[in-house]
Amino acid sequence: MTTHQTEAIVLRTWPFEEADLLVSLFTREQGVVKGVARHAMRSRKRFGGALEPMTHVRATYAEKPKQDLVRMDSFEIVWSPMSEPVDYARVAALQFLAEVLGEALPERAVEDDVFRLTVATLSEVKVGQTWMPVTYFTLWMTRLMGWLPELGACIVCAEALRGHPVWFAAGADGVTCGVHKRPGSVALPPEAVALAERMLRRPLAELLKEPSGKTGPLAMVRRFAVEILERNLERQMRSARVLARL
Amino acid sequence: MARFAEPMARLIEELRKLPGIGTKSAQRLAFHILRSSTTDAEALSKAILQLKASLRLCSRCNNITDVDPCAICSSPTRNQRLVCVVEEPTNIGAIEKTRTWNGVFHVLHGTLSPVNGIGPEQLRTTNLFNRLSDIEEVILALSPTVEGEATSHYLAQEIHKLAPALPVTRIATGVPAGSDIEYADEITLSRALDNRRQL
Repeated sequence: MTTHQTEAIVLRTWPFEEADLLVSLFTREQGVVKGVARHAMRSRKRFGGALEPMTHVRATYAEKPKQDLVRMDSFEIVWSPMSEPVDYARVAALQFLAEVLGEALPERAVEDDVFRLTVATLSEVKVGQTWMPVTYFTLWMTRLMGWLPELGACIVCAEALRGHPVWFAAGADGVTCGVHKRPGSVALPPEAVALAERMLRRPLAELLKEPSGKTGPLAMVRRFAVEILERNLERQMRSARVLARL
Repeated sequence: MARFAEPMARLIEELRKLPGIGTKSAQRLAFHILRSSTTDAEALSKAILQLKASLRLCSRCNNITDVDPCAICSSPTRNQRLVCVVEEPTNIGAIEKTRTWNGVFHVLHGTLSPVNGIGPEQLRTTNLFNRLSDIEEVILALSPTVEGEATSHYLAQEIHKLAPALPVTRIATGVPAGSDIEYADEITLSRALDNRRQL
């Protein structure tokens, strides 16, 4: 049996057997691992509030050869979403992050960049400050997973698109110019493209100083990034639909 | 070869669907039912059928009841102007056990959970919001989880919109009685410190 101790993010828990919880954990050293937290439903002694989704923990778990599920031994809280007020928008944003990570990351694939992105985003998702961190996270996830198309040129004619609207369609690769736009395409105006480019160059803390809301260029970038994610994941994300309705 | 006869396997499978019942417990229960008298087995099956046929939700508080309004809502000895909001009907039992609560309840039947498709419109709040004018205080007794906190925040906001002067409080969180501070997690302990009271 091998014991691991690593930083991790709790993605989700499910009731398992009589008093146990099945835990999906995004660890820094081993990627996504699933395991059983024994008696976690009956006793809060060992895990306390550390099993709340999107809690950043220092996890200790044991792994047996040829077994898919690890044994969760103890979690020490590094940061908890409960350390700040929670409203519906914030819980929707946190569940969106968890859903994206749960769907996009294959099990046992180490993704240190994604881990650092998640930790950086988590603490910035606050009441009244959800849209910028969520959009930043979504756009960066598309890039880190290798799904973000080149925004600077039309995929059909290679024409430079700087300063022009960029057209994208949910069912097709790449972006196009207005001439080669595909059926059902949506335009990303130049200010939204510029914002996306800023997001890919600057840290989140700096972007949070910019005015943001749930509409305008920020919403357009978010919709663009969510559509890329959903196209590559081949499913619609429930929490993304909730966020869109807020 | 099948491990159990078909009727036994079917009963085990049905029992296994119950919360907190794993395969072993389901087998134990199934064998207990098999060993019990026909009268007992019939009484159990009748009780289950009767439960489904006669129980419904109280039109005032959403508690599970066989009479409407429920025994708590129609009790003349209870303060009908103090309302404690809980997530599930089972939470009522936990609060009643304290023997310190003499108000009434309101059951939401869930908490806000976008990933599980539970939004504000899925919570059973209409009958609570409709009787705010008859209420002196609303006490939110929801679980101290992310979803419970979001639900408390939403309810407080909606109640303040409809009845700005109505006090909305929530139960305290802190170190459980009889436990050891050493075992309390960081969040619980920091909340306990934040909400300390003078002696």
